[in-house]
Amino acid sequence: MTNNGKMQSVTLRVLRYNPEVDQKQHFQEFQVEYTADTTILDALHQIKAEQDGSLTFRRSCRHAICGSCAMNVNGKNILVCKTPLRTQLDRKNRVTIRPLPFLPVIKDLVVDRSAFWEEYQRVRPWLIAPPEAPEKEFRMTPEEVEALHNAETCIMCGACYSSCQVVALNKKYIGPHALLKAFMRVMDPRDTEPGERLDEVSGSDGVFRCHTIFNCIDACPKGLNPTEAIETLRKLVQKRQAFVAARQERQKTLLPVESSTAPAAAD
Amino acid sequence: MSDTNTIVHDVIVVGAGLAGTWAAKIAAEQGVRDVAVLSKIHPLRSHSGAAQGGIAAALGNVRPVPDSGPRGPLEQLPDGATPVDNWELHMFDTIKGSDWLGDQDAIEIMVKEAIDIVYEYEHMGCVFSRTRDGRIAQRRFGGHSAPRANFAADWTGHVLLHTIHEQALRHGVKFYSEWYCMDLIVEDNICRGVVAMEIQTGKIYTMRARAVMFGTGGYGRAYKITSNAYANTGDGVAIAYQAGVPLMDMEFVQFHPTGLYKHGILMSEACRGEGGYLLNANNERFMERYAPDKMELAPRDLVSRSEQTEIDQGRGVEADGQGIYLDLRHLGREKILKRLPQVRELAIDFVGVDPIDALVPIQPTAHYSMGGIPTDADGQVIYDAEGTPVTGFFAAGECACVSVHGANRLGTNSLLEASVFGRRAGYAIARFLESGASLQSVSGDPAEKQRQRVQRLMAGNGKSSESVEKISQELKTTMTNQAGIFRDGERLIQASGTIHRLRERFANARVMDRSSCFNTDVLSALETEHLLSFSELIVAGALERKESRGAHFRTDYPKRDDENWLKHTLAYQTPDGPRLAYKAVNIDWEKYPPQERKY
Repeated sequence: MTNNGKMQSVTLRVLRYNPEVDQKQHFQEFQVEYTADTTILDALHQIKAEQDGSLTFRRSCRHAICGSCAMNVNGKNILVCKTPLRTQLDRKNRVTIRPLPFLPVIKDLVVDRSAFWEEYQRVRPWLIAPPEAPEKEFRMTPEEVEALHNAETCIMCGACYSSCQVVALNKKYIGPHALLKAFMRVMDPRDTEPGERLDEVSGSDGVFRCHTIFNCIDACPKGLNPTEAIETLRKLVQKRQAFVAARQERQKTLLPVESSTAPAAAD
Repeated sequence: MSDTNTIVHDVIVVGAGLAGTWAAKIAAEQGVRDVAVLSKIHPLRSHSGAAQGGIAAALGNVRPVPDSGPRGPLEQLPDGATPVDNWELHMFDTIKGSDWLGDQDAIEIMVKEAIDIVYEYEHMGCVFSRTRDGRIAQRRFGGHSAPRANFAADWTGHVLLHTIHEQALRHGVKFYSEWYCMDLIVEDNICRGVVAMEIQTGKIYTMRARAVMFGTGGYGRAYKITSNAYANTGDGVAIAYQAGVPLMDMEFVQFHPTGLYKHGILMSEACRGEGGYLLNANNERFMERYAPDKMELAPRDLVSRSEQTEIDQGRGVEADGQGIYLDLRHLGREKILKRLPQVRELAIDFVGVDPIDALVPIQPTAHYSMGGIPTDADGQVIYDAEGTPVTGFFAAGECACVSVHGANRLGTNSLLEASVFGRRAGYAIARFLESGASLQSVSGDPAEKQRQRVQRLMAGNGKSSESVEKISQELKTTMTNQAGIFRDGERLIQASGTIHRLRERFANARVMDRSSCFNTDVLSALETEHLLSFSELIVAGALERKESRGAHFRTDYPKRDDENWLKHTLAYQTPDGPRLAYKAVNIDWEKYPPQERKY
């Protein structure tokens, strides 16, 4: 690392909006000091503590797992907690920070994610497991677990949703985050309703709306690939019957040999 | 009865991490129709989701490869072989880890229910890592004598939190996202509801309920270097204390040995569970000197003290000598990518080091709050050493003190505790309502007091007043330097004086943001007030406790003193400051009498 510990100065341009006083959004510039270690979130905190306590943003964990602090920096959606300031300077030694695009702004960098959460609930994000639970765990192979990793680590930050051109044009679109969740449930060998789920995502607001522009992949701070998940769902929609039959077959072997012969006690 | 400033539910849960969400889900599943959960951040942002390494339960799915030594490889348990683990071993490890301050009846409940609750998570959709034959994978963890950390790579808390949240939604739990609880309404030792602010509008409501449950998390944010989220400001413990509820064992704060250098962000204990080393400036695995048997997998209190001793004696690393190195290089690329992908990214993002081929600078970081709101094993909050209930008030998880962790928690027992006692609180709340608990009257307008609290922060022109942020920073520096890993009477007395002065200064603190919409400036001020409130109790408990036990180490009293101090601290609010009382520890003197704690 270079310049570690050495203080430098930079201009942060922040798109601001306070519904109680502002007619519309406007940029405000702040000078902040930074070192090689300073994250963009640190810089926002520095402004809030020392210059303007009314600067408003969401944050919590500060290590890219809670999903609070997705914002638009220099035109790209990122998590500001894990992004060093020094990596985001433009040619004029500035960093431009806006709230996530395409979402209603509540105040400054805080957006209204209601539509985002409604879509998440719409895909029924919970597992619908077989009614008879085994005494111990359902047996899943490491490969089946691996196949879910693309969706499992989604932190629901909204970076993909608010970078999606289809979401921008059509508020009814389920969106990459919720389709990724649907993918996770469809692919889980324990889920008993993959057919119904495929029906739900194959409607006019679902997987066939995706224009495969790949913005969601570029935006995802966890390196996930919603487009690929959507592609998989599309293929499975075409093969719905066979897929459902295969799932039913697979669920016969979810229990280990010794306990599948004897009926497991209902939990 | 009801007006636009009053909201009524059957049950109000505050906090949407594992403990609160479990309680809400179970209460709803048990037939309670109207369960509401308040959270100051979106439920899926809760700090339970940051837990990495695993959740403890003696499933016995794996065992060490025979004759491979204490740090050798693990294998899935062959068919027909006897498991190397059982709940009794888990129980003993937890008691020993707690330095005998954990209540053994509660620990027994936790380790027995551990097995069932991990399977329940699995049945609800949690995606655990697997053994070759499809069972839940397990790894080693510090202070545990068998591999019993059940994990999902190194994002275990994340998948548990998402799983239980999804199931709570499925059962119709109502979530108030971004609502901030400001007060607990208790009259005549009966809890009647809470006062809370809708953050988006700034509007403050009285929220009445037949039962209230707190799952509000820990208080690590009182320290400068911490693994805790910004949200972990101990609001629940401070609010309960202000409402007349005592707090238990507040002096016990765990420092995790591997926080990223300068940031404090957690590098999971799984790093050492998978075989990582700790090195000092001389390239020595210094744990040889402190825990020759367990080495890096000694419990956290011991490892953090060992690191701090190395640092204090001049064997630290980095420019200021305040760091230690975590060495994962010998684990190899494949294992790091498969088992520790998140911590690898954290090291790259925050200290610019890839653990696959470089040493990661780390340092001890304030991590976990053993103390909190005293409860019985059903989450029922108790008022005194005799177990008198605060009727209608429940608590579980890090904000509560059952106490299963005593003076030091073992890694992977926190996700377990939050889950088991959150679930038990859910059942207890359902029984409490079924037994006829009714909505209790509330005198006056409790919300008005909180409105005035906010108005005071906004009064004046704000320019010439005290800065909340400065007070907060001074407090954190004081707590780290004077009430941290090593403590002594003199420094604790200084800390006590400093906190007293900071509280006086806070009376003149004002915020800069005067708007009612999403005012995070006001929230920070209220949170700082909470930090000041409970920090006084950490120091008071530590000053009085003239012994060293678990995470509480007094250089002027370096030995554990069972004769005088094998007891829990209870701190009560009085107009003259905290009053301390004590409560006996539940011990099975036949089976688990106190022993010397060596690793």
